[in-house]
Amino acid sequence: MPMKLLDCDTEIPEREQHVYIKEAGEDTTQFLPVSNAATIPGTLSERGCAFCGAKLVIGGVLKDTIQMIHGPFGCSYDTWHTKRYPSDNDNFQLKYAWSTNVKEKNVVFGAEKLLKKSILEAFDAMPTIKRMFVYTTCSTALIGDDPKAVAKAVMAERPDVDIFVVECPGFAGVSQSKGHHVLNMGWIHEKVGQVEPVITSDYTINFIGDYNIQGDTDVLQRYWHKLGIQVLAHFTGNATYDECRGMHRAQLNVVNCARSAGYIANELHKKYGIPRLDIDSWGFRYMATGLRKVGDFFGIQDKVEALIAEEEDKWKPKLDWYKERLKGKKMAIWTGGPRLWHWTRAVEDDLGVQVVAMASKFGHQEDFEKVIARGREGTIYIDDGNELEFFEVIEMVKPDVIFTGPRVGELVKKLHIPYVNGHAYHNGPYMGFEGFVNLARDMYNAVNSPLWSLAGQNIQNEVQ
Amino acid sequence: MQENAEALVTFIQQHCLWQFASRAHDRDENIDGVLSLVGILLTGGSPKLQTPMDRLHYANANQLTTEVKLKFPWLSHLGKDELFAVVSDVIKRIHEITVKNSKNGELYQPGY
Amino acid sequence: MGCSVTQKDRSGIINPIFNCQPAGAQYAGIGVKDCIPLVHGGQGCSMFVRLLFAQHFKENFDIASSSLHEEAAVFGGIKRLEAGVDSLIKRYPDLRVIPIITTCSTETIGDDIEGAIRKLQRMIAKDYPGRVVHLVPVHTPSYTGSAVSGYNVAVQSLITTIAKKGEPNGKLNVFTGWVNPGDVTELKHYLSEMGVDATILLDIESFDSPMMPSKDSFTHGSTTVEDIEGSANATASIALSRYEGYSAAQYLEKTFKIPATITPTPIGIRNTDIMLQQIQKITGKPIPESLVRERGVALDALADLAHMFFADKKVAIYGNPDLVIALAEFCREVELKPVLLLLGDENGAYARDPRILNLQKTVDHEMEIVCNADLWELEKRIKNKEIELDLIMGHSKGRYVAIDAGIPMVRVGFPTFDRAGIYRNPVIGYKGAMWLGETIANTFFAHMEFKKDREWLLNTW
Repeated sequence: MPMKLLDCDTEIPEREQHVYIKEAGEDTTQFLPVSNAATIPGTLSERGCAFCGAKLVIGGVLKDTIQMIHGPFGCSYDTWHTKRYPSDNDNFQLKYAWSTNVKEKNVVFGAEKLLKKSILEAFDAMPTIKRMFVYTTCSTALIGDDPKAVAKAVMAERPDVDIFVVECPGFAGVSQSKGHHVLNMGWIHEKVGQVEPVITSDYTINFIGDYNIQGDTDVLQRYWHKLGIQVLAHFTGNATYDECRGMHRAQLNVVNCARSAGYIANELHKKYGIPRLDIDSWGFRYMATGLRKVGDFFGIQDKVEALIAEEEDKWKPKLDWYKERLKGKKMAIWTGGPRLWHWTRAVEDDLGVQVVAMASKFGHQEDFEKVIARGREGTIYIDDGNELEFFEVIEMVKPDVIFTGPRVGELVKKLHIPYVNGHAYHNGPYMGFEGFVNLARDMYNAVNSPLWSLAGQNIQNEVQ
Repeated sequence: MQENAEALVTFIQQHCLWQFASRAHDRDENIDGVLSLVGILLTGGSPKLQTPMDRLHYANANQLTTEVKLKFPWLSHLGKDELFAVVSDVIKRIHEITVKNSKNGELYQPGY
Repeated sequence: MGCSVTQKDRSGIINPIFNCQPAGAQYAGIGVKDCIPLVHGGQGCSMFVRLLFAQHFKENFDIASSSLHEEAAVFGGIKRLEAGVDSLIKRYPDLRVIPIITTCSTETIGDDIEGAIRKLQRMIAKDYPGRVVHLVPVHTPSYTGSAVSGYNVAVQSLITTIAKKGEPNGKLNVFTGWVNPGDVTELKHYLSEMGVDATILLDIESFDSPMMPSKDSFTHGSTTVEDIEGSANATASIALSRYEGYSAAQYLEKTFKIPATITPTPIGIRNTDIMLQQIQKITGKPIPESLVRERGVALDALADLAHMFFADKKVAIYGNPDLVIALAEFCREVELKPVLLLLGDENGAYARDPRILNLQKTVDHEMEIVCNADLWELEKRIKNKEIELDLIMGHSKGRYVAIDAGIPMVRVGFPTFDRAGIYRNPVIGYKGAMWLGETIANTFFAHMEFKKDREWLLNTW
């Protein structure tokens, strides 16, 4: 079927190039949604900004780093208490939001002095913290401040601190994706290689593109530990600034989120020759496949098989219990982008669940190549979905559950459709073997809540 | 022969991520590296793994080979030449889909 | 001894108390029916705020973005704004109001919003004949003020743009300030008991929206275009907040000769008394016996708690300024000792606020009011043992201060996402005072049990 113009988009027909319904015999050389393109204003798109992609998604995860946001305080406020990535450093990364508190006079006369003062104040307020990310925002990018110069000056005055500057004003690019890119490229070009990690194992990896949502990183770290693999850096789940400066010494880069961090994996390959292995760390079968590939790379297959056997013994019965009860259920996935292609086959193979509609906020065409190759026929694939499209799609495919963010979840609740938090999970972690059982459990409890049928009963008529 | 190759192509499309690397040259490197090893493994050969990239391609190839042998029992009935011919077709087809005829506009962007 | 007013002495912020202006403007915008605010700036300015509202209310609100991209930095953002208004009008046929909310990026670029609006109105007249859409310019750069002033600017802009002189309607305009749906319910109850016909600006009671069998219930405000137009024909205006909405009442007084009264934010018994008596004075409607009874019920409940459990307990309060000041006054009514108030922006008017002047005059214990504060001012005083607290009252973004220090905390204000259903309860009025008192008490009680601190006291309370 050629690209689909939904009824609610009749007035904005350019949306047709972003919506695809897969049919038998078609492939992505014929139909591939336009992606990573300019947003149409006023559509109630789900997209956020580049600053969000840099700070909230990647940088803010680091557990020992001050996140100095150079701009008025709203950007700082808005990226505080909006994530669920814990750490073993007393959750320092969840508790604080810093801002240079740019005011009108700074917009007129420049804010570099203010930036320097705020940086020093922040380090002084927390003397045990010696690392900082500085982010520019819309206003500070527009006024032409040079935050890198300020950072350099501070590092010269205080040799025990290190500062990384990310220039990611909200209006850059078209979505969060630009922020991912700028941060990745800046980090590899300016910071990787500055710290020599202490190598304690014959097998070293970086795990790239996992942000420890509800402890995902911890689940995977137990596997690496059991296999005797040293993870030099998680990028960036439960990671420190300096760990991420030592990425250049790994023998292998294992990549989960190729969208937000594929860039640094590519650059590490280009610059240091480190191979990039893409896996899916969500998915019961996928986890086993991923571990086997790592095992093949290092020649530690026996250890891997032992680990997989142990995990499958523990968790497969539970997974199968849910599969028995979830098979045939219809799911929609409306998230950032990669979870579309991570989950669509995994829920089908592991749980018998069919994904009937998917929408990506900031995926590129590469993400759509992956999801359409893996996804079902008859499924609707949408780039940069907007609210009216969501309503229409629900009418078309009638999902039993939607994995999406809490706000959209609260919207579809009015239609008596349960949601599961596709970004930060309901009761995670969702990665690894146990994680997929958690995902199944949340889906099962969502779908089977008695509240939906109660909601559908009108007590003014006779209740069944 | 065509059908056999197509069946493998469909399977690879559905299961493998290495074919979707970021740039055309990365995809080509992976496609050739992984699938040529698949050919060797299917025909009972012992691949020579010298570089880290060899070991990466082997990791992807070994899992793929294990899975397709299970899924497509007819593979065990083909002779060496036939197997190499099928793999050669698969390489061509995967390259067509993910590189040559791909609509992905980022494949030829310089830099990452 | 006594109450002193100080300033934060750092330039930067660690843990801001509020969001920036556009967020406040959006909070006002969503209170209007058939309205979708259009935030003119980067996508984050609207998307983050939609998330924030969802966290607080567990509801989705429709807010659009002009999705400013890089070329706007060079060529200006007006084209994006025009496209945004066009998209909204085309796809939402019931839409009647679009507040156009500027942000730091578009104010810095210097987009001419008023000029764009004039052009857009000509476009609407031509392309959508018969369609009336109010385009309301709301200038709220984030580098000035805060969400508090942003709310104030937006309410004033709505009134300025839409209020229309017509026949007198005998109504009382009530500018609520930044409140919760539970507060609006309480207000409507008072007005109904007193037989007062009022226009609530803004009526957000419907934010607490249901799941209906018909599946057609979604979340939006209830203040209509007609309500706003009619504000110009009211008998009088009363503002319940000095910093959130009073400017609109003053505008109506200046422009349409509608007398504006400001009453101290009605949190606590005395403040509620004053408000009800003001309404009685303005409208001539007497306060009925029913409200005297409600007052009595609240006093009765608080009398069980004050000298037994609240007296001498030290409280820190942070949040919107009117809320914080009024909560401090309530605390004093029930023998709680407010020792630290954190007001979160650099508004010079606080020094002249009659309620703060009164605190400075009458408080006889050690109390500090920090202006231009952030939450680090609270945390560092606790960490450095400069202050000992029995209770923290504030919004959920300060939760870790309370959690890490083991200090009981009552969630009030905005946002209160780490507890269920807070927004459904009033903090204003007699019921609000009772809810506050009982919530504080129950918070103390749970803490006593958790800490095994004389929990047996409650065996026979």
